[in-house]
Amino acid sequence: MLIDPSNSHCQFIIGDSEPFFIRLYSLTVLLKSPHQELEDLIKKIKTRLILSPEAEEFLYSISKEKTLRKGEVLIRQGQVVKNTFFVSTGCLRSYCTDKNGKENTLLFAIKDWWISDYIAIHTDELATLTVECLTESKVIEFNAKELDGIHSLFPEFESYQRHNLERHVVSLHRRIMNQLQLSAAERYDLFLKQYPEIEQNTRNFHIASYLGITQQSLSRIRAEKVRK
Amino acid sequence: MKALQIVSYGEIKDSLVFNELSKPAVQSNDVLIEVKAAAINPIDKSIILGNLKGLLPIPLPSTSAYDVSGIVLEKGDGVSNFEIGDLVYSRVPQEQMGTLAEYVAVDSAAVSKKPGNISFDEAASIPLAGLTAYQSLEAAGIKKDDRVLIHAGSGGVGSLAIQYAKARGAFVYTTTSTTNLAWVKALGADRVIDYKTEDYMSIAKDVDIVLDTLGQNYSLESFEVVKQGGIVISVVGPLDEASAKMLGMSDYKLPEALAKASRDRKADYKFILMHPNGAHLNEIKSLIEDEKIKPIIDRVYPFSESIEAFTHLATGRAKGKIVVKVS
Repeated sequence: MLIDPSNSHCQFIIGDSEPFFIRLYSLTVLLKSPHQELEDLIKKIKTRLILSPEAEEFLYSISKEKTLRKGEVLIRQGQVVKNTFFVSTGCLRSYCTDKNGKENTLLFAIKDWWISDYIAIHTDELATLTVECLTESKVIEFNAKELDGIHSLFPEFESYQRHNLERHVVSLHRRIMNQLQLSAAERYDLFLKQYPEIEQNTRNFHIASYLGITQQSLSRIRAEKVRK
Repeated sequence: MKALQIVSYGEIKDSLVFNELSKPAVQSNDVLIEVKAAAINPIDKSIILGNLKGLLPIPLPSTSAYDVSGIVLEKGDGVSNFEIGDLVYSRVPQEQMGTLAEYVAVDSAAVSKKPGNISFDEAASIPLAGLTAYQSLEAAGIKKDDRVLIHAGSGGVGSLAIQYAKARGAFVYTTTSTTNLAWVKALGADRVIDYKTEDYMSIAKDVDIVLDTLGQNYSLESFEVVKQGGIVISVVGPLDEASAKMLGMSDYKLPEALAKASRDRKADYKFILMHPNGAHLNEIKSLIEDEKIKPIIDRVYPFSESIEAFTHLATGRAKGKIVVKVS
């Protein structure tokens, strides 16, 4: 059972590869915008949905492109969360720290993924997650509330949102089932299919804590794979 | 805030008292750490007993201990490398001593983010011993395939030094007693010498580096096992002249027996004064996250039993570090 990265819960606000907007690119916006990363995102959105120039302009008005250093923290556990991020390049990780101070990885976000603390955003609670850059990364930052407001302004987003939420539920259920019924080695194999190049950008303990296994177990699984 | 303070020099039970203090003030380069765990070290015991009165004069009362892990609660205007909420660890500078307290203000240059794969208790066990091991072996210029003798492999410094030396690709000899052989071997040492049944000097011969964590006759004996051109690094033996100068003793001379042994063997002698350093702790953080170094904890005490933790430290029987969980 494979968790499809495009089903990731990172993508439930806007999916990069979903039928989202299908309309010609707005030349006015293109001329106006120096934002290459957002232009790329809008191109992807437009393969899926009809995007009015107004909606497109709205996306420009609520977004900001950012280049981030390795180790930079975008969201910090215990603090207020306002933003959600679309990853243009690089690799980020969200994790929670338990009461003993150990980190548990919820997910990795690579090119074309979304990442934030959605528990905090949708419950108005403080962050339970920290989001950090594992490599130098480029992201597009959106104010989550403003992005959410796109539905009232541009209702075509509603059906897209529902579709993504459904896929998000599927993805979460798969992750839970995998955790319940697959061996650590099987989960590791699925992880590699889901994130093919991620091992270059992550530490072993990031992967072990994502899979819910110890670092020693991960080393053993890798050694067995090499032997096979 | 509650803090365990040294109120007089002398026996542990007579010298340590819990006091209620105000939160420490944060200077421009400081972070205020909410202490989750503190670790105690032999030096803390020596300070309480008054053995270091001359070398490290402290005002009494003073809060005890140097090692800490916790969460950044406030920061000074000049701090740019940490944010409120960061999980950190540190060996605090001498003038900020006092980690057995609910809060401690620490110069951010001595602080690092804590390793993400270990607990606060484990993280607190690392800084002082870890920096000593790291700075000693770096001062010795350790490199791949060096042959290194580390005395007292089961000690706080020794157990981390073995792991650091292995991470650097060295061949490690270490000494320990029969009861500790198995777990010290598990740290990665290539040859564990049982000093109760074996003569370490006939096994570890012509090594590149000796890390002397014992002092006394071991400092001098080190020159019988180090190779010509090698180096003896001590963290407890006699001061060398450079360290003495840093401590204000400008006319200090290395004891003649040691100076002669060093000349005869054509091997250097260096005393290491561990210095707090956040960048070095950050290097150690990476090694811990890659499981090249694992913390070794003997026992974790609740804050209310800190004095018992010192009594246990004083027995000298701890296998690994003694940690106090503060909150």
